[in-house]
Amino acid sequence: MVTWWLRKYIALGKAGWALIMEYRAQVMIWMMSSFLMVIMLLVWLSISSEGEVNGYSTTDFITYFMVGWIVRNLTAVWASWELDFNIREGRLSPMLLRPIHPIHNDVAIHWVEKLLRLGIVVPIAALVLFVTPGVRLDFSPLNALAFLISLIGAWVITFLSDYLVGILAFWITQVGAFINGFFGIRLVLSGAIAPIAMFPLAIQDILRWSPFPYMLNFSVDVAMGRLTPEALLAGLIIQWGWAVFFILATWAFWKVAVRSYSAVGA
Amino acid sequence: MRYLRLLGLFLKANLLAELEYRANFAAQSALGVLWAGLTFVSVAVFFTQTDALGGWTYGQALIIVALFTMISGMTRFILEPNVIKVVEMVRTGTMDFVLTKPANSQFLATLRHAQYAGLADIAAGGVIMIFAMSQMQYSPDPAALIQFGIMLTSALVITYSIWLVMAALSFWFVKIESLSELFYALFDTARFPVTTYPGLVRLLLTFVLPVAFMTTFPAQAVLGLLDFATLLASVGLATVLILFSAWLWQRAVLSYSSASS
Repeated sequence: MVTWWLRKYIALGKAGWALIMEYRAQVMIWMMSSFLMVIMLLVWLSISSEGEVNGYSTTDFITYFMVGWIVRNLTAVWASWELDFNIREGRLSPMLLRPIHPIHNDVAIHWVEKLLRLGIVVPIAALVLFVTPGVRLDFSPLNALAFLISLIGAWVITFLSDYLVGILAFWITQVGAFINGFFGIRLVLSGAIAPIAMFPLAIQDILRWSPFPYMLNFSVDVAMGRLTPEALLAGLIIQWGWAVFFILATWAFWKVAVRSYSAVGA
Repeated sequence: MRYLRLLGLFLKANLLAELEYRANFAAQSALGVLWAGLTFVSVAVFFTQTDALGGWTYGQALIIVALFTMISGMTRFILEPNVIKVVEMVRTGTMDFVLTKPANSQFLATLRHAQYAGLADIAAGGVIMIFAMSQMQYSPDPAALIQFGIMLTSALVITYSIWLVMAALSFWFVKIESLSELFYALFDTARFPVTTYPGLVRLLLTFVLPVAFMTTFPAQAVLGLLDFATLLASVGLATVLILFSAWLWQRAVLSYSSASS
């Protein structure tokens, strides 16, 4: 069973890699959409030069945004656009006939694309963190493991919540606006423009129970060792609670959606 | 006169086309308002921690957010839809039909299409502007309004020129999607006062990339804080850029040899 899936994923990954290499210039352009994080970092630095801001020093801001930049690139998604396009153009039909769920193809392509992104992002971020004095990252074995688990959780939540918006394309034609709007909301509430700790307390309390901080902010907090063991454990539980929720929701939603699907022109 | 009449006809034709797809219009408008709100949040979040950003108070910085939203709206309304079409026409060779029409090619290529949902951004920008002024309990005097009119016009002319340059470049480099992405990435810096950025970046955004002329300086004008030299520089820059971009467009059109031949 495991080797069966492994073989399938290696095949999908190889095909995906060929596709990504063909669009490598495009991938670089997509990466520019995280330029806003650089701008936000510059503005935070202008404030923190006069002293700590809510417990964040200049070094903390640099660390936050560099690690956050890596997490954001690791969790970059576009599967919803693909799904919307395939549904509108009636291209989904042949995919449904394959013996494997179409989502696995998207997952494989997203993963191989991350290799390309990491190859660019990690060296740059590592260099910045290296030359910044006083950077503290907690990579003790246990914390590194927690970071890895939180990264996988962040990827699952981001990918599947985006995929769920894409599934709306089975019923409505203007799904592009929803995808784009959700992207914007995610940008702000995941902590990509500001650490969640900068938001008003009332908002932080609500966000803690939402999936958004667990798409980016939480993983960065883990890497920076900002959390107490209790907070870390609670965070992982909430994050993976959401991950399980999204897995089940995608599975159920997809079943209902496909039943109502009638291909364009068919 | 003839061109004004043509422009009226274009806008009417686009409106009729837009009314065919009302759901799309509604969705795109709502999206514009949402992004205006997110821009607002991305600036307001700093003021939960500080009283001033690069020497600008909350209310003053919101004027910049308003201008940022308005110029984005203008871009979405008229500039982007046309430049996308130009790129497509150059690639497919249908640019022939534009060039053979008995009117100025730059006019036809850059003002023919419109995406009315961009007006929602402009309206949202207006709302933010009014909110900012009521925050400060400020109303500009006539002199400030005149200066603002000049500065806003310059800002729009500068933005138009940049997009025209991108359209012209598509004649030589067929793929320019990357250029418009670059525009948006750099324009994102315009949501904050340029004085917020560290020295080198600030110089870059003022003298190399005219980002400061798009939002910061027009905002200073409406606040009555603009000096005369900046006003002159802004008008001068707008004039130079529009002449340069028009010249580049002419060069591009001359070098155009349809797609199939």
